[in-house]
Amino acid sequence: MLGEERRAEHEGALTEPPSSRLVSPDIRDEFGLETIDMNMGPQHPAMHGLLRLILELDGETVVRCDPVMGYLHRCQEKIAENRMYPAVIPMTDRLDYFANMHNEHGYCLAVEDLLDVEIPPRAEYIRVLMCELMRLASHIPSIGFLMLELGAFTPILYAFRERERIQSIFEAVTGARMMFHYIRIGGVKADLPPDIPQKIWDYIESLEAHFQRDFVDLIQDNEIFISRTRNVGKMSQEQAVEMGVTGPALRCTGVDFDVRLDYPYSVYPELQFEVITDTAGDVEASYRVRIAECLQSIQIIKQCLEQMPEGEVLGDTGRRIRPAEGEGFGRVESPRGEYAVHVVSDGSDTPYRVHYRDPSFCNMQLLQEIVPGHYLPDIMPIMGLIDPVSGGWDK
Amino acid sequence: MQTVLNLLEVEPIRLLISFGAVLFLVLNLAAILTMAERKVSGYIHLRYGPNRVGPRGLLQPAADVFKLFTKENVSPGRSDLWVFLGAPIAMFIPAALVWLVVPFAPDAVVADLNVAILFFVAITSIGALGVVMAGYGSRSAFSLLGALRGAAQMISYEVPLILSLLGVVMLTGSLSLVDVVQAQGDTIWTWYFLPQLPMFITFYISGIAEVKRVPFDLPEGESEIVGGFMIEYSGMTWALIQAAEFASMAVISAITVTLFLGGWQPPLPFLDLGPFNWVWFGIKTALIMFTFQWIRWSVPRLRMDQLMDLGWKVLVPMTLIWLFVTAGLMLLFPSLGA
Amino acid sequence: MALTLPEGDLQTRLERYLEGLDNRHGLEESEIVDGVVRIVAAKGDVPAVLATARETLGIPHLSFITVVDRQGTFELTYELIDLRGATVRVKTTIEGDEPVIGTVTGVYPTANWHEREAYDMFGVAFAGHPDLRRTYMWQDHFDHHPLLKSFEISTKRTFEGLR
Repeated sequence: MLGEERRAEHEGALTEPPSSRLVSPDIRDEFGLETIDMNMGPQHPAMHGLLRLILELDGETVVRCDPVMGYLHRCQEKIAENRMYPAVIPMTDRLDYFANMHNEHGYCLAVEDLLDVEIPPRAEYIRVLMCELMRLASHIPSIGFLMLELGAFTPILYAFRERERIQSIFEAVTGARMMFHYIRIGGVKADLPPDIPQKIWDYIESLEAHFQRDFVDLIQDNEIFISRTRNVGKMSQEQAVEMGVTGPALRCTGVDFDVRLDYPYSVYPELQFEVITDTAGDVEASYRVRIAECLQSIQIIKQCLEQMPEGEVLGDTGRRIRPAEGEGFGRVESPRGEYAVHVVSDGSDTPYRVHYRDPSFCNMQLLQEIVPGHYLPDIMPIMGLIDPVSGGWDK
Repeated sequence: MQTVLNLLEVEPIRLLISFGAVLFLVLNLAAILTMAERKVSGYIHLRYGPNRVGPRGLLQPAADVFKLFTKENVSPGRSDLWVFLGAPIAMFIPAALVWLVVPFAPDAVVADLNVAILFFVAITSIGALGVVMAGYGSRSAFSLLGALRGAAQMISYEVPLILSLLGVVMLTGSLSLVDVVQAQGDTIWTWYFLPQLPMFITFYISGIAEVKRVPFDLPEGESEIVGGFMIEYSGMTWALIQAAEFASMAVISAITVTLFLGGWQPPLPFLDLGPFNWVWFGIKTALIMFTFQWIRWSVPRLRMDQLMDLGWKVLVPMTLIWLFVTAGLMLLFPSLGA
Repeated sequence: MALTLPEGDLQTRLERYLEGLDNRHGLEESEIVDGVVRIVAAKGDVPAVLATARETLGIPHLSFITVVDRQGTFELTYELIDLRGATVRVKTTIEGDEPVIGTVTGVYPTANWHEREAYDMFGVAFAGHPDLRRTYMWQDHFDHHPLLKSFEISTKRTFEGLR
């Protein structure tokens, strides 16, 4: 269990529980107090995307928070019904654009469920390697965004320096920095270039060396960070599971649900890693969970590089991918939570229905439940706890 | 030539010309500080700051000023125009006025008031008015929130600011800033920041809060209320607000240096430069401004209630206690004071 | 306040879930396929089936609700996860063009947004839902439900009502 000793070290941070701050409506009527209705509008430099939050404020305390989505809706599920199965993969890239590999992986697992194709072991290892690199490239900027919203401008630039290095590895492997179109139905598109495993190894070792200095030492014991994030957005385990929260936001309350271990897929059963949980359930706990998950990802990447077998990288699916009628389900652990894809096929070249269960969409329900009672400046750290990406909640 | 120099002896003319010179300095300083801020922040972020305009980017402020002159001053349709346009002026004037009493070098003060500290305190308090005018005149929810936060913050941090000066006043025995600088000898260990260390720290922190910089920039909180009280300003009005912010940052640094770090006194006697001691003043002020920027890019910002807690529950008791300690020590060892 | 997740071996749990649901409700089909408990229920039974799953069997998490437009009928799939490897998939069919079904928000509060999305995209009305409004599409003047097979993608349709 993370963090118990650290929390004991820093008792007495300058916070109080939010439930005491809400003024009851009768008192408000009696004194003639009014609330302000305000938009944290779709145009906002620090939002995690295009989100409109309709807020009702009583002074600085939020009484009601209502997210309005749809500003980035691109009708992905409808368009997927008109495209052939392999042509849907670039569209899944663009769903949650901080976890592209996981989106592709989930969709390909769903279609492979329909097809019964043999995936070569080397392809499985490459998929896991790419997904774990993507997890690093997503968790590190999410820590940066959390700090940006708290007002510290430097960690995000350090975080994006790491992301740039990972993106140049992706560029060498897949040809693109962000929208990869790499994981294909039956395997991956092409093998790793011969010098890449050594480059990834060097990069991972250097990241391990300065990770503590860059992302932990400057942030974890900072008094201001602790007082801004401790007891903010605190949820209990029941609340979190009831609201359908998954991923680091759920694990920071103590429920150890990780799709990689509970619903294993690909080669995760053969890799050694732990599920990270914390008990506090607030923003500080989610920060700690993400840091520890980065370190776990580094271990998984090292194991992948050591254990990777030789062989082909694309299974034989035939010239046309035309599954029989039926339904396929794929579920992966994206950096934000449980990402699931449900593909319904009617025996033709194009899917009949594709449904994406995106973790950002489901985790956003937290905002309606948790935010009332907090102050206005607390909304952004709570979004840092959820870490949504607008491509995810809007599809 | 002689008549010009004789003219400079005549009182109102000397005051006007020297104040004009100081104002020229302050406006240029505001422009140069924008550049310094961007380069310092760049290097802290492991990137270059602006480096295209001019050699190593040094002409960037000129480009910025030129752009801001040519930009349209947009004002919201239903704003209260007089209050809206008066606010930047109300913010800039106090920041510029305090430079009247800052001693740059021996005998180089625009106005050698014998109540200079009182003048400083009084004029700095007017700054809060400008913030409220800006937020109120803009008539938008974000500005209102920013203005309320700004007013609360500035008023509550004036108390520790003033209390922390009182130790210096007791040790000097006078409210004149020139006397304060003279009383701190010309060695680094006789400057007031050592015997008045808690007061120095309090003054420094309250100074950051008065200037509304991170970690106290909630009135301007960029992450939630995007610009707070100055969200509706653009073009030259915005430039004037920025100039006021940088001018007040510079003036708080200058007063910190004057009160606690020896003003224009050199750190060791053999480094005395005579009439050129304004170089020492400049170096020390630049150092304090650099630390302001260093802190800005290193720490997150405090939330409103935590900010008020810090001001009222931590800084005020600390200054009060140290005031009693100083007074007690001055009674016990009469040689300490003036 | 810790959450208790179901214990036991996977196969045992799957059989327990199957039995628990079979005994309490008249289900049209129920079987275990590939480690998933697959259940087909009548549309009126679905809230009760999910209530049993949550309260009696202790399955804590509703993963997603999928609606498939079969041009004449709507097929809903509720996927329930017990966070330990077992999955219960409840399917139901709604006839006709104006689909209405009872809400499960009382049992699984996370279904709130899933049902809103289903309403927005397909027009499936959930009786008893606390806040049934659209998620992605415009709330005021857009009367269509985009994911229906009868809704064609065309530029004219996209800007209808805005120009």
